[in-house]
Amino acid sequence: MAILLAGTGLQALVSSPASAQVSGSTSVGTPAGTAAGTPIINTAGLRYDLGDATRSTTSNTVTIVVAERLDVALTGDIGGAIVVTTAPTVVPLTLTNLDNGNESFVLAVTLVAGTNSPGTIVVRTLVIDADGDGLYDATRDPALVDGKTPSLSPGQSIKLLAIVAAAPGTGAPAAAPATATLTVTARSTTGSGSAGTGYDGLGDGGGAAVVGPTGASASVSIPLTTATAAGASLFKSQSVRAADGSQNAVRDSVITYTLEARFTDAVAGARIADPIPAGTVFVPGSLMLDGVPLSDAADGDAGRFDATGAQAGAQTGGPQAPGIAVALGQVAAASVHTVQFKAKIQ
Amino acid sequence: MISRPMIAAILTSTAAVASAAAGPLQVTSSVMVEARSAAPDGTTRVTLVKPSRVTPGDKVIFILAYRNTGAQPLADVVLDNPLPRQIAYRAANPGSPAPDVSVDGKTFGSLATLRVRSPDGGTRAANPNDVTSVRWRLASPIPAGAQGQFAFQAVLK
Repeated sequence: MAILLAGTGLQALVSSPASAQVSGSTSVGTPAGTAAGTPIINTAGLRYDLGDATRSTTSNTVTIVVAERLDVALTGDIGGAIVVTTAPTVVPLTLTNLDNGNESFVLAVTLVAGTNSPGTIVVRTLVIDADGDGLYDATRDPALVDGKTPSLSPGQSIKLLAIVAAAPGTGAPAAAPATATLTVTARSTTGSGSAGTGYDGLGDGGGAAVVGPTGASASVSIPLTTATAAGASLFKSQSVRAADGSQNAVRDSVITYTLEARFTDAVAGARIADPIPAGTVFVPGSLMLDGVPLSDAADGDAGRFDATGAQAGAQTGGPQAPGIAVALGQVAAASVHTVQFKAKIQ
Repeated sequence: MISRPMIAAILTSTAAVASAAAGPLQVTSSVMVEARSAAPDGTTRVTLVKPSRVTPGDKVIFILAYRNTGAQPLADVVLDNPLPRQIAYRAANPGSPAPDVSVDGKTFGSLATLRVRSPDGGTRAANPNDVTSVRWRLASPIPAGAQGQFAFQAVLK
């Protein structure tokens, strides 16, 4: 199959608000069957006795040309919601020509934003996944020509990638994730609509084309969301070292806490706060960010030890407890920051 | 897709048939589809029409209409219709005598009496999809000027 290279004919429509209670769906049609344009040729034979002679002959020959049944299926390749970042995010789809003939399909993409943040997720393009690897490669994965697929043979499937992205700056840690529903619709170029609608002379081989059970149209709706807390995850681990060198958690043992913050997305105003566990006391001067010591005072560096816990309590709404706080500020996408501090068991 | 040589072949065979059918027994083959329409009394009326938009899975009716155009009766009349390979036999059309069927083009009988070879070397009962040919034998001669027809239902594969 030849893949045509050209600019996109795709237009994303964004409107809001709407419900995002939509899941990926699957359209299934009937198997392709005899190819459109195939002549079905019928002739009967006959034999009879006339007087003493047996004669045989044939009937006329009837030829009917198989019409092209227009059917299509479109499925999302990933179940459930797809997490969208500011980097181009791939939504993989599979389109299958369920015709008994060759057909190309017109694709349309709409994006309906959820109530949280209308317009924060946008559709960039819809391309053919030429190598079928499910990854977007702008140099190899061609955009659709006039929003259409190339002509597909009966039963042939093609992988598509809808490329979506979150607008930069969305989804800061405090913000609720933005949601949207991406709907991709494929329609036979010959025609679509009610099953049984006919188009004389437009089928393969000069016969008719008839809209099949799928209506020659298939849609798939895929829920999208920006990552919860902007795609940040915090992983906390600890190690214990007792005075005798063992790992026993006894009085005066020192616990080293490691907080590893991973960000999939670029965010501003990122901040890590962690209370000192009850029964322990903060080891002064033990706070580090990415291996660099931070002073305990609220001063020029990014971190501090908050002995009263007033600030942490006010921010979290929880009880006031002593804790550390590190302001990461502007964080790059796909970055990891590690905060460490020590506490001594009392 | 129709290639040009194939079209030429069809035209040739049609021309040959026209001359061959000039004997006293004439048989006209036709392929029809059912068209359903609402009748004034509220029932659904089914009529047979020429097919213009047959797609895989559609039911088609094969009709063989015969007529003795001669002045003498014709005896031992046998009509047989090998099925185009894209056609799957289903049943006799209502109102038509049931044909004998064959799964190999040689042995004819009712479907229940026929068996087909299975891949493991054994045999299994034949089903309508195995039928490759249908045949009618007329038990009594066709009088001069008499006519009739046979019909069976099939599905486009």
